[in-house]
Amino acid sequence: MSVSRRGFLRGSRSGTASHAREWLAARGHEELVAELQQGRQGGRGMARPQLPPGVELIRISSNENPLGPGKAAIDAILGKFPEANRYPFNSTPLDADLEILIAKLNNAKRENVVLGVGSQELLKNTARVFMSPTKHLVQPSPTYGDPSGFAANTLKLTVKTAPVDPKTLRTDLSALLPLVKGAGLVYLCNPNNPTGTINSAQEMNDFIAEVRKTSPTTAILIDEAYSDYATDPAFHTVIPTALATPNVIVARTFSKAYGMAGVRIGYAIGDAATMRKMAAWRMPYNVNTFGVAAAVASLKDPQHIKDESARNKAVRDFTIKALADMGYMSTDSQTNFIFTEIGKTMTAAQFRDACAAKGVMVGRDFPPLEKQWARISLGTMEEMQKATEVFRSVLKPATTTTSGKGQ
Amino acid sequence: MALSRRHFVQTVGIGAGAALTSSVWGRGREHSVWSALEPELQAVERGVICIASNENPVGPGKKVLDGLRSLLEGGTKPGRYSGQMGELSEAVAAKFKVKTENVLLSEGSTEILRAATQVFTSKTKALVGTIPTYEECAGYAELIGNPVRGVKLNSEFKIDLDPMLAAAKGAGLVFYCNPNNPTATYVGAKATREFLTKLIAASPETTILVDEAYFDYVTNPDHETHAQFAVEHPQVIVARTFSKAYGMAGLRQGYAIAHPDTIRKMRPFTSASGTGSLNVFGMAAATMALQQDSDGAFSANERKRNQAVRDFSMKWFADRGMKPTDCQANFMFVNIGSPAKAFREACRAKGVMVARDFPPFEKTMARISLGTMEEMQKAVNVFGEVLGKKSTAAA
Repeated sequence: MSVSRRGFLRGSRSGTASHAREWLAARGHEELVAELQQGRQGGRGMARPQLPPGVELIRISSNENPLGPGKAAIDAILGKFPEANRYPFNSTPLDADLEILIAKLNNAKRENVVLGVGSQELLKNTARVFMSPTKHLVQPSPTYGDPSGFAANTLKLTVKTAPVDPKTLRTDLSALLPLVKGAGLVYLCNPNNPTGTINSAQEMNDFIAEVRKTSPTTAILIDEAYSDYATDPAFHTVIPTALATPNVIVARTFSKAYGMAGVRIGYAIGDAATMRKMAAWRMPYNVNTFGVAAAVASLKDPQHIKDESARNKAVRDFTIKALADMGYMSTDSQTNFIFTEIGKTMTAAQFRDACAAKGVMVGRDFPPLEKQWARISLGTMEEMQKATEVFRSVLKPATTTTSGKGQ
Repeated sequence: MALSRRHFVQTVGIGAGAALTSSVWGRGREHSVWSALEPELQAVERGVICIASNENPVGPGKKVLDGLRSLLEGGTKPGRYSGQMGELSEAVAAKFKVKTENVLLSEGSTEILRAATQVFTSKTKALVGTIPTYEECAGYAELIGNPVRGVKLNSEFKIDLDPMLAAAKGAGLVFYCNPNNPTATYVGAKATREFLTKLIAASPETTILVDEAYFDYVTNPDHETHAQFAVEHPQVIVARTFSKAYGMAGLRQGYAIAHPDTIRKMRPFTSASGTGSLNVFGMAAATMALQQDSDGAFSANERKRNQAVRDFSMKWFADRGMKPTDCQANFMFVNIGSPAKAFREACRAKGVMVARDFPPFEKTMARISLGTMEEMQKAVNVFGEVLGKKSTAAA
């Protein structure tokens, strides 16, 4: 290996290596997409502050891991260079090797796993497989918008929603049940984006059993993108249930705790017959070989993910407490972002603009809660220490405040 | 190359097993302490010659790999992730002298093939393609339940333009793979342009997807991209990929050149829709590859390298009475006079991966991708053993 690579592995260039990790983590991507979409729709784009040269924006708007992947992943990618010319089915490790590794880690078989270009390909394909003009989608509101956006806007299919619990903002599973009969697909994001909340494994399994009873053909997709950040002991993956229950699918991604949103690898896991339906829609040689190698290396380095979750929890606790000390309560976040009630002082748009003017980019609007709640992704501790100072100056009782600020 | 044939075959035999480890290659398969979780499958074993998938055996070039390395090691600060699609779109647009609104980036060109099939075929509007051709469009049309009509190739294994034109009238989408995979033949630019013009006049509701995946390998002087034609005609889409001459099949980067209205319809069915995006490696490497090839020297060198290998390999078969088609790609389609399956399996046992089935020709014809000259010199020795044919020229 080259001298420069050894230098990198020693961490001697860690200052610049962080750029590479941000690149792989695709930091700021979702923010830009939201900006473009709002621009296209004629709405307000995200404010683009002019900052003094050399001052870096703090991007805590789009739920990326601020540190990117671990060394093992980057090392694996560098090792793939001699095989850049090979398709994923000719490369080492094979895309199938990644499926096998994922299966083994979940006490399953390769036939239980389907890879996707991020989990997005899989979320879209569940709509293709299980929905039709007479089979609608059911989901809480708000939740992650890609599956419903694809179903409604691209496939022109029906989406039915039930609001989250008004107090806790947890997904209200009992409110979803009446909508389920005859549905093609139920989409649950657990932990949920943008609310950060979880439903316990018990609640999820009870819900799945109930749907099976009342609407046996309805498929249930549980998006566990943020599961590696959940620290509440009540949270458990429902992968074991998915493996044992037809038409229950769990989607996972390497874009969040694994820090590789730019690498575009996700997977679906479920029982073999269900995965065969998903595999039929999988794009041939869909995942890139560098990403496959990085994902394999990451899965073999579970300590890195444990460390990342612990790092995130410390930042989360700090940020939630800082805002609580200012009188602003957040939901019980189990993710790498928090959802904070700022409505007594300002709307999410006002908060976003005020923070952006001071160099901090926070989350976009999440209707129907955009008047009251703001989503703040968690950066590094250092970033959040700076960001909470900005929050303090932005959220302090201002002349425009209608109801004053709680203290 | 110093290796004798016997030595070569032996080496390959060992490669299929446990030898040829990291000491040879600088790195081996990962040695994990998690031995219980070690991946189980073998990809292409070390030492095996993989000439089965029409890959560029040489790769994307030093500048691209050095550039990627620099990005990964932090030597170069990457552009903002989301800006990369813009940069690549601009580089593609500059290559074809079109606007960025004419460029649709995708995760491999497979997404373009699927999106076009999705958007332009229906229960009443069939997909039309040649038999055989690259299967993705037909496979996807079947998946979504839309009809497929096939048109036989002519006696030279080329697209038979008049029957194709007749079959295409009223169709939703025509898949026009040129050079055609697996037959390696190329319809000249003039004839293709005439075909497109006639079809647009006769059936203006029909869209034509011209897949130029292998375009950079064409040596027929009558060749031309139809990218500009596509920009001017909403009915025409040109699909391109970085998986072939640009040598990055692993990085999954492709694109379409088309009219903005056509792109608007297809975009929702690509990865770059919604909050989605493409993988950073593909975008960065493709952008650097286009910079590297801005004067056309990289692709010209690759074409020349391939041509020498092709001439050598074609002559080897011709000398033994086995006729390849007029090859204009980085693979050949050869009449070996026996089933591809038996040939494939016998070659595989001797360390050469080659020749998947292409019905209806799988009983006599084999597709052979072109590796490096060194690889092909070794491979033809295996072919000679397997096919048992003596050179008539050398005899």
